[in-house]
Amino acid sequence: MKTMKLLEVYRLSKRFGRTVANDELTFDVLKGELHCLFGENGAGKSTLSACLTGFHKPDSGAIMLNGREVVFATPAAALDAGIGICRQHFSLVERFTVLENIVLGTEREHLRFDLATARARVAALCERLGLTIDPDAPVAMLAVGERQWVEILKALYHEVRLLILDEPTAVLTPAESARLFAIIDRLRGDGLAVILISHKLTEVMATDRITVLRRGRAVATVRPAEVTPVQLTALMMGEEPPPVPARTLRHKGEVVLEVEGISVPGPRHDFRLEGAPLAVRSGEILGLAGVAGNGQREFLDALTGLARPTQGTVRLCGEDMTSASPARWMAAGAGSIPEDRYAEAMIGEFSIAENVALGWHRTARLSRGPFLSRARMADFARDAIERFGVKQAGPKTQARALSGGNAQRVVAAREIARARHLLVANQPARGLDIGAVAFLYGEILRAAEAGAAVVLASEEAEDLLAVADRIAVFFKGRIMGVVDARTASLAEIGAMMAGRAA
Amino acid sequence: MRFVPRSETAPAWTAFCYGVALAVFFLLSALVVLSVGGSPGKAFAALFKGSLGTWNAVGGTLAKATPLILTGLSAAIAYRARIWSIGQEGQVVFGAVAGYGATLWFGLAGPFGIAVALLCGALGGAALGLVSGVLEARFRVNVIISTVLLNYCVGYLLLWLLQPGLWGEVGQTISYQQSAPVADSLFLPAIPGLSKVHLGGLVALVLTIAVGILIGRTRLGFEIRGFGLNPRAMVARGVNAGALILAVMAISGALSGLAGIGQVLGESHRLRPDALAGFGYTGIVVALIGRSSAVGTLIAALFFGALAAGGLTMKVMADIPSALVTAMQGIALISFLLAEIASLYQPVRPVRDGGAA
Repeated sequence: MKTMKLLEVYRLSKRFGRTVANDELTFDVLKGELHCLFGENGAGKSTLSACLTGFHKPDSGAIMLNGREVVFATPAAALDAGIGICRQHFSLVERFTVLENIVLGTEREHLRFDLATARARVAALCERLGLTIDPDAPVAMLAVGERQWVEILKALYHEVRLLILDEPTAVLTPAESARLFAIIDRLRGDGLAVILISHKLTEVMATDRITVLRRGRAVATVRPAEVTPVQLTALMMGEEPPPVPARTLRHKGEVVLEVEGISVPGPRHDFRLEGAPLAVRSGEILGLAGVAGNGQREFLDALTGLARPTQGTVRLCGEDMTSASPARWMAAGAGSIPEDRYAEAMIGEFSIAENVALGWHRTARLSRGPFLSRARMADFARDAIERFGVKQAGPKTQARALSGGNAQRVVAAREIARARHLLVANQPARGLDIGAVAFLYGEILRAAEAGAAVVLASEEAEDLLAVADRIAVFFKGRIMGVVDARTASLAEIGAMMAGRAA
Repeated sequence: MRFVPRSETAPAWTAFCYGVALAVFFLLSALVVLSVGGSPGKAFAALFKGSLGTWNAVGGTLAKATPLILTGLSAAIAYRARIWSIGQEGQVVFGAVAGYGATLWFGLAGPFGIAVALLCGALGGAALGLVSGVLEARFRVNVIISTVLLNYCVGYLLLWLLQPGLWGEVGQTISYQQSAPVADSLFLPAIPGLSKVHLGGLVALVLTIAVGILIGRTRLGFEIRGFGLNPRAMVARGVNAGALILAVMAISGALSGLAGIGQVLGESHRLRPDALAGFGYTGIVVALIGRSSAVGTLIAALFFGALAAGGLTMKVMADIPSALVTAMQGIALISFLLAEIASLYQPVRPVRDGGAA
């Protein structure tokens, strides 16, 4: 059966300083297989895929492709050998067209490349996959889901034999996700092997084999039929999974946040709040359901000072905050966990101590006169690391060395500490493993119990049903309806997410 | 041998890169000296003697480095915030004009007069920096463009001011492009033991420490560094981008303005275009070589000061045009910038079987 093995990874290790990201990792992928890499944030999945695609060089161990050892000095070498990757964060040039993005990187061989041939090949590829996408549309104009197709087309254009998909469905609607898996099935029929990195158990359980990573090691390779989801999670964490936190009966206090008739311009949809004002009480969690890009971001920006509504009013604790700056929102006791933690909430080159100080740096808590107190910053960071369970890190650890889950814990620690009255969180659990998700929602629930009004946007309606009190469903810049989370059903919310009125 | 990006910096490799850069600098400089028919050995010996060889030479080096420390810090603080100000050249001139103007308008004299003139020079530079700051923060005019254009404006303002009838000094038969000298009591005093170094050298050293503390230890410095790395996150966490740009441009301008008035009171003792030219642009190079850190900028400025001071000796002793010093500065910039880039990469052994198809 040796000839069936497309990829073999043998005792691969990769260290960053003292952190061991991949530790003697061994696994293999068969031709035409859909193979899942499953593990917590920081378990080594991203480092492994970076090693497989030439972004990192392993410290030791071997990568074998079709039985021959390969060493990739550059990502281009890996691509030439037939290994492509679609990342969690898109690597597309926004101002280029779809076609230009797809051929990007192939122009190395020739002085000038033949766009007409490329166009024909892309068209053929689209037809084979049943995709309709305008090759001349600038990527900036595409919806997030469409960008995912471009990423995949780009890899297939290079005629890869192994495609790594890193959380491909994080930004897709359920229907788009189904379509993606249908396309993957078709490609596998042609002999393409796919490595899927995912945290969604339903997707994980639908693959051929699952390799579970824990702390940089491949602890097991199993077939979905052999394990239950709970066993799989236990394998991943090395212990029983924590109970998923659920809403408890909370004492609801005074109205903290009132939003009335606001209009916020957005790139795809302007957000407009029509009809009755939206009020959130102290201790209450308002969930925002909907596929990302339907106005949630514009709405939340009006609650953090990043956008100023062109009309309507926003009040916090009775005070008019309609045109307040981010600094004023923060001073008024509002915390915010933004959608993209690395782009909006953290500075990768800064240490954890410096990152938890962001926004606190002008307060008496961390500064004396014009000077920042390093000792107090370090204390604050140690406290955050301990209370929020940031793993393998100290105050001086660089933020960019943290895994997604640990980075989000740092951001959450900082923002929840600030959220006396209001906590705003946009997709805080996106891309996090089960342990981190449970912990994060637990902390958000605690913030509500401590008296904050919480506005929580998530694409996972199940999560909102478990955690929120009421759920507002967003579609094309409007709120389709607000439902009671105790009585609403998933189907009801799903229908509203697709634009059907309640 | 191929090079791939490093995931973390390695001090030993960084030191190696800069060592190679220094060697390359001397090698290429030697070739330049040979190309004009000189002897590299004699040239470098003269360069060394003129810059570090005697206590007096060290003083000369420090004197030449003084304005470069200030313009270097001026560029460094802006670049830490990724505000690409190229306005140091104009701010030097404007600081000199403002400070010199103050000596005339207020009839300044004595130590108090020196303090007021220095302050006015710094304020003048800051004011010019703020013009570009306001244009960027309020009207989104690119800082690179506004500062470059203002450099020209201020350069011609100086020429206009130096015509006869305004500040220009009229001689017996011809008029020079220079002002009348300032009062003797306004000359910056020399530092005891280093006759060539005026008080400005001490000010520059103190400001190096001050800028280092500002960037590394203060709230403002924290915002400057954060803004340079990820402005979006800083704005989301309550930093007012406009106010920050204004603060940075004001501080940056003040440092350059101080360099300008320092040259007037300490070196030329009058307004003279050629006594002010080049420090701003060289300061940019100094900051880039110094990786926009206070200490790095100080070291780079001292290195350039040594080249400038030694260049004169080189001309006298080895009969090599001192203009070659400018070429050597350029060689230094390229070598050290390449060293900085190289320090971010790591060498990898040749690829075996990399493109197995």
